[in-house]
Amino acid sequence: MRLLWAHTRSMVLLYLRTPEYITGTLLLPLVLFLFFAVPNADSSSAANFILGSFMVFAVLGVAIFQFGVGIATERSTPWEVYLRTLPLPMSVRTAARFLNSFLFALLTGLAVLVLALLTTPVSMGAGQWARFAVAILLGLVPFTLLGIAIGYSTGPRAAIAVANMLWLPLSFLGGLWVPPDALPSAAAKVSPYLPTRRWGNIVWDVVRGDPWRLQDWLWLLGYTLLFLVVALWFYRRDEGQNYV
Amino acid sequence: MDARLVGDGDAGVGSPVVTMRGVRKLYGSVEALRGIDLDVRPGELLAMLGPNGAGKTTAINIMLGLRRATEGEVRLFGGDPRDWRCRLRVGATPQNIGFPGELKVREVLELVRAHYPRPMTAEEAMARFGLEDVAGRRTSALSGGQRRRLAVALAFVGNPEVVFLDEPTTGLDVESRRSLWDATREFVSRGGTVVLTTHYLEEAEALATRVVVINEGKVVAEGRVDEIKAIVGVRRVRFEAPSLPALPEVVSVHQEGCTYTVYTKDSDALVRALVASGVSFANLEVLAVSLEEAFIAITEGSR
Repeated sequence: MRLLWAHTRSMVLLYLRTPEYITGTLLLPLVLFLFFAVPNADSSSAANFILGSFMVFAVLGVAIFQFGVGIATERSTPWEVYLRTLPLPMSVRTAARFLNSFLFALLTGLAVLVLALLTTPVSMGAGQWARFAVAILLGLVPFTLLGIAIGYSTGPRAAIAVANMLWLPLSFLGGLWVPPDALPSAAAKVSPYLPTRRWGNIVWDVVRGDPWRLQDWLWLLGYTLLFLVVALWFYRRDEGQNYV
Repeated sequence: MDARLVGDGDAGVGSPVVTMRGVRKLYGSVEALRGIDLDVRPGELLAMLGPNGAGKTTAINIMLGLRRATEGEVRLFGGDPRDWRCRLRVGATPQNIGFPGELKVREVLELVRAHYPRPMTAEEAMARFGLEDVAGRRTSALSGGQRRRLAVALAFVGNPEVVFLDEPTTGLDVESRRSLWDATREFVSRGGTVVLTTHYLEEAEALATRVVVINEGKVVAEGRVDEIKAIVGVRRVRFEAPSLPALPEVVSVHQEGCTYTVYTKDSDALVRALVASGVSFANLEVLAVSLEEAFIAITEGSR
């Protein structure tokens, strides 16, 4: 536990002191929210819907970038190699990375939330807010695994490209930028098969006050297993290349 | 009571810290280690001496569990070095150390000491390695010497039983080198074990209780410092002369016009013989040579 705390703490400090990281993950979603979300949120129900979409988009970016680019950048550094000579179970390092990522996702989410409360007529009941939090946190899991897979699959430069190539199209096609029923017809055909769309469905059900649909959760679960397998495969491949 | 009974019943006393038996390491088709047998005994300061590319770092990486031996057996405190529990008594400072630049010196020390059961405080480590003045500085703002000292401090901060120092003084100024040597000696005098790689014979001479010489992935010599020095302590004598007289202790000779370059294990005897031979020589110079150069001369001479 002490070790987990020590590693999480040093990771959080490290990211907090990286200005380009803070502007990229924390400030960019806020600016985008002001430009694109606020003008369209003219009613409470519209604001709730937009907040849901935007929240998913923002924390999705944290999950993919934090893990994808973070792992790709760090895993081959002399420091990370040095850490492997310490009496340190690698699972602690991975757990610290999870905590760190969740913390920044949470910070980003809270920042978006505060901004939404200040600038739009967002309004939900307490039960709705609780379901909202559950939907966001559970939905993060598969994308965190996707981020890990990216991180172990390629080098730091390529990881930034791959992360962007996944974040932006997945967001658009998932209906996070324009509502699913406003998507162009080709995009609308692909959309239901994407994990972002399923995550979006779960969040939109919450803001509308509708019950969840089992099939959305099953789709997310399927993607979680898929990304887990892919992440493990890339992780083992990296171990096999660098530590045999 | 019989003094020899001391230590009986404690399996840890006297048993080797590290054991390597027939260890081979292949990187693709390149054979970095070609069958290494080596024991590191408790309380000794073992210097692994060898030219660049000899396989010293590979050997250390295998002892630390960073790499797996392709063949052979490796034991660290009786266990598999790849198991982190075996490394609770181990401190290390690898080559080419880089720190996360955003973290401060004290934070890096605090992170590393958190891994050990009975570490020294960060303050103590900083005092010992001259880092008090930069405690709050980010590691990206450290000088080369300060970075090296921090790297070495990390090896000792956990109060381990064995410390691995891979080329610890490369790039260090004379003063930092002295203080590192003092810290290392002090650690050994309190019962610690040190494994050190170096390609400076001088460093092995200053510190080691035992030396193994590694060349081309094999242990080519092993013994006390003076024994090793007799094998690899080569000097280069250069002079101009019309012809080369018979000279003692010659390892190898190069001739360029009337300039002779002679590698020798005893430059004093060689110069005396040169003078006694009556040959009219000029521009005599005697130089210590690097271990790389010594190995090349020895290899050439043995052909």
